[in-house]
Order: sequence, then C-alpha cells, then structure tokens
Amino acid sequence: MTPPRILFRTYVVPLVGMTAFWIQRVTGLLLLFYLLIHVETVHHISGGQAAFDGAMATFHNPFFRLLEIGLLLVVILHALNGVRIIIIDAGVRSKHHRKLFWALAVIGGLAIFIAGALPMFLNSVVRR
Amino acid sequence: MSRNAFAWYMQRITGALLVPLLIAHFWVEHFMSKELLRGDLTYTAILARISNPAWQAIDISFLLVALYHGLNGFYNILLDYGKIGRRGANVALTLIVAVGVAWAVWGVLAFHNL
Amino acid sequence: MNKRIFIRRSSDNGKSLVQSFTIEARPEFTVLDALFTVQHQHDPSLAFRCSCRVGMCGTCGVQVNGVSRLACKTRLNQIEENDVFLSPLPHFKVIRDLAVSLAPFFEQWKKVLPRLRPRDADAEELAIIPATSAYAEHSEGKRDCLTCGLCFAACGVLATSQQYLGPAAINKALLRVLDPRDTAKSERLEVVNCSRDGVWRCHTQFNCVTVCPKGIDLTDSIGFFKRNLLFKGGSLDS
Repeated sequence: MTPPRILFRTYVVPLVGMTAFWIQRVTGLLLLFYLLIHVETVHHISGGQAAFDGAMATFHNPFFRLLEIGLLLVVILHALNGVRIIIIDAGVRSKHHRKLFWALAVIGGLAIFIAGALPMFLNSVVRR
Repeated sequence: MSRNAFAWYMQRITGALLVPLLIAHFWVEHFMSKELLRGDLTYTAILARISNPAWQAIDISFLLVALYHGLNGFYNILLDYGKIGRRGANVALTLIVAVGVAWAVWGVLAFHNL
Repeated sequence: MNKRIFIRRSSDNGKSLVQSFTIEARPEFTVLDALFTVQHQHDPSLAFRCSCRVGMCGTCGVQVNGVSRLACKTRLNQIEENDVFLSPLPHFKVIRDLAVSLAPFFEQWKKVLPRLRPRDADAEELAIIPATSAYAEHSEGKRDCLTCGLCFAACGVLATSQQYLGPAAINKALLRVLDPRDTAKSERLEVVNCSRDGVWRCHTQFNCVTVCPKGIDLTDSIGFFKRNLLFKGGSLDS
C-alpha cells in the first residue's frame, strides 16, 4: 500500500482526524461553558416571571441572537463529529474516515445549519 | 465490561442520546410557537410547557445526560495531560463529581416553584 | 534543480538552531539523499540516523515540514513547497541534530510483552493458522511494523501524555493476543485496558495511520481492542 501523498505545509488537509479532534475538543469545552450559563439563566425560572424575564432581557438583542446562531453551529459541529466518532468506533475501517468526515461535514452540517439558522436569522434578527 | 470500557461506552451512549434530545430541545425553544420563532423566550411563552411534569422529566434527564457527557469529556481532557498523575486523576475525578452533583441540583431546582 | 534545506540542529549550549543549505538535487532525490549531500558538500558534522536506505529498517525517521516521515521514503519532489524543513522527531530526546533516542517508544513497546510466549517452546510441529481466523486477517498488513517510531511521534495523545502506550505497541499487543500459540493474553490485556495509559486514551485522530510508512491501519487495531474489551471482556475469541 502506498502512503497518502502529503501536501506538506498544508498538512491539516491529510490530517483530517486531527482537525476533527480539535473541533471536537474546542466545541466540547465551549458547550460545557454554555451549559453553565444556560443553567444559571434557567434557574431564574424558580424566582417567577419578573426574575426570569429580567435575566433573559440581557439576551434580547441582535448580538445575542447572532451568537445563538453561532451556538447552533457549535452544537452541529460537535454532534456530527460525535456521530462520526461513533461510526468509526463501530468498526468502519480507517481508509474511509476521510470520506466520512467530508460527507458529514458538507451534507449534514450545511443542511441542518441552513434549516435551523436561516429561519432563526430571518425571524429573530431581520424581521424585528 | 471493565470500568474503563464502561466509561468509554457511556460517553458514546450519552452522546447518541443527546442528539435527539437536543433536536427536540431546539425545536421546542425556537420553533414551537410564533413568539418563540421570533426569539421572544419569555416566562409566559414557556410556562405551559415547563409546568408539565412530563416535559420537566425530559428536561431534567436532558440536563443529567448532558452533564455526564460534558464532565466526563472534561475529565478525559485532564487525563490526556498525563502530568496530573494517578493521585491527581483521582482528586480531579472527586472534584468533578462534586461539581456535577451541585450543577445538577442547581438545574433541577429551577422547577421547584412551578 | 536547486533545493533549500533547512535543518534544525543541536548546539553545545543545549539550544537548537536552524541552518539552511542549498544543494543541487537530482529529480529522484529522497530526503535521505539530500542529507547525505549536505553532509558531503557542506558540513560533515551533520548527524542523522539511517541504515538500510530502502524503507525496511525504520531508522531514518525525521519531521519533514512538520510531518513524521522516513527520510529514505520521501522524495523531494513529493514536497509541494520550495523549501524543505527537517527537524528531529518530537516526543523523543535529541541525541544530536536529527538523531533521537527511541527509548520512550521501546519502553512502551516492552510494556505489552512483545515477545511470543508459546504454549510449547520446543514444539516440533508447525502451528496451523486458518486463513479465515481473526489472527490471519489482522496480521495481514499489520505485522509489517518497522518500529520506526513515526506513529509515536505523530500521535497527539503522546504529545501531552507520555504514559500512553502508543499505536505501535498496541498493534503489537493485538497480534500477540490474537495468536493462537500465545499464552500471555491476560497480562497483555491488563496493560492495554488501563484507563490512563491504554487503548481508551486513543482519540481516533488517525495521525498514526497517516504517517505509517507501511500503511498499517493502527487505529483499527486500537478500535478492535476497544470493541472486544467492551463486549467480550477482552477474550478476543473469534
């Protein structure tokens, strides 16, 4: 078997698995941090309507709406990459892992991101 | 199944569970009604849903699964930095479990006045 | 064809420095040929390791533009850039210039007890391995390991945690554990199953598979261990 031809300086391209690993690690930490903020905000529900709406008021502006769409992107990256890892762990041979990465990235990521982010963007940012 | 195998397997199982839970969560918070679609996530907009015990059960299990997945992932990152040693790893695990329990109680208590 | 070669070299004060050399390179030149040319024409004190020069001994591992490669198996014209940057393999102690000590690699290699522990050391009869057995299937392509240490150098887990066994040692353990003649299965499985240093540390980065000069599917070996330790308690009986 011939080893893959390596584009040296742009070695991120053949090292797809490493790229995926970093995506997974960074998005994972971001999501754990988000969960902390999220639970903090949601906890205000126990304080009643005024407390919860007060806590949510911070987030009712276009900046956080856009950030929320960013959150969707982070979630999708982490979830699809996780699906990829589960498929590999289930026994798909390594020679397919690059194809798997790009297939999930392009088809899944794009489709879900547009289906989720576009309505969110149009309804909560543009039409306000 | 050894303890190590179990921890590794649970990370995959919880990850797989989080996908449908997340899609459902995303749907009910952003698409279920007109207000939510506009992004007006207010108390009145979500009151009917969150006072339903069935939804509370789903939300709480979502929180627990996400916490396990997230904190176990964090513990794995610590393990990757082998310099913490065997004792350091045990201390870290104890701390992470304590944080996880506090975090879970904090989240669950959100519903206690409904 | 003129080629600029940058080489990271050690110096007497313990710090490394980068030197550049311009050599007249023939089209078929490998990185190893370039190193010999530098040594002959520019600086006879340049240190690097090699032995067979045909990719079967695994001695000449270096970082070529950031990727672990065998110097003798990498042609200069495979490299897209004009400049070639050579540095010693990471995660190893540099002895001098490009020569590193593979000691950490073999420390891990020894942990999985790489030698065969046969049931009958004095057996006269040949063992019969059916072509359909798991051992036959996995050893095809996986037994070619040169112990060159490239996977060890490329592994992202080993970058931060040197206790990790590393891909080559785990692959060796798999071949031994699957071998029907072997008797040290449980010892090897205990090493491989360790939570902090064993197979569970692998993050399926595929760096080892990408750099392996023999094209060994190392991540598959690790994954095979994981799946079997999970559901069959590591018995690996097929």
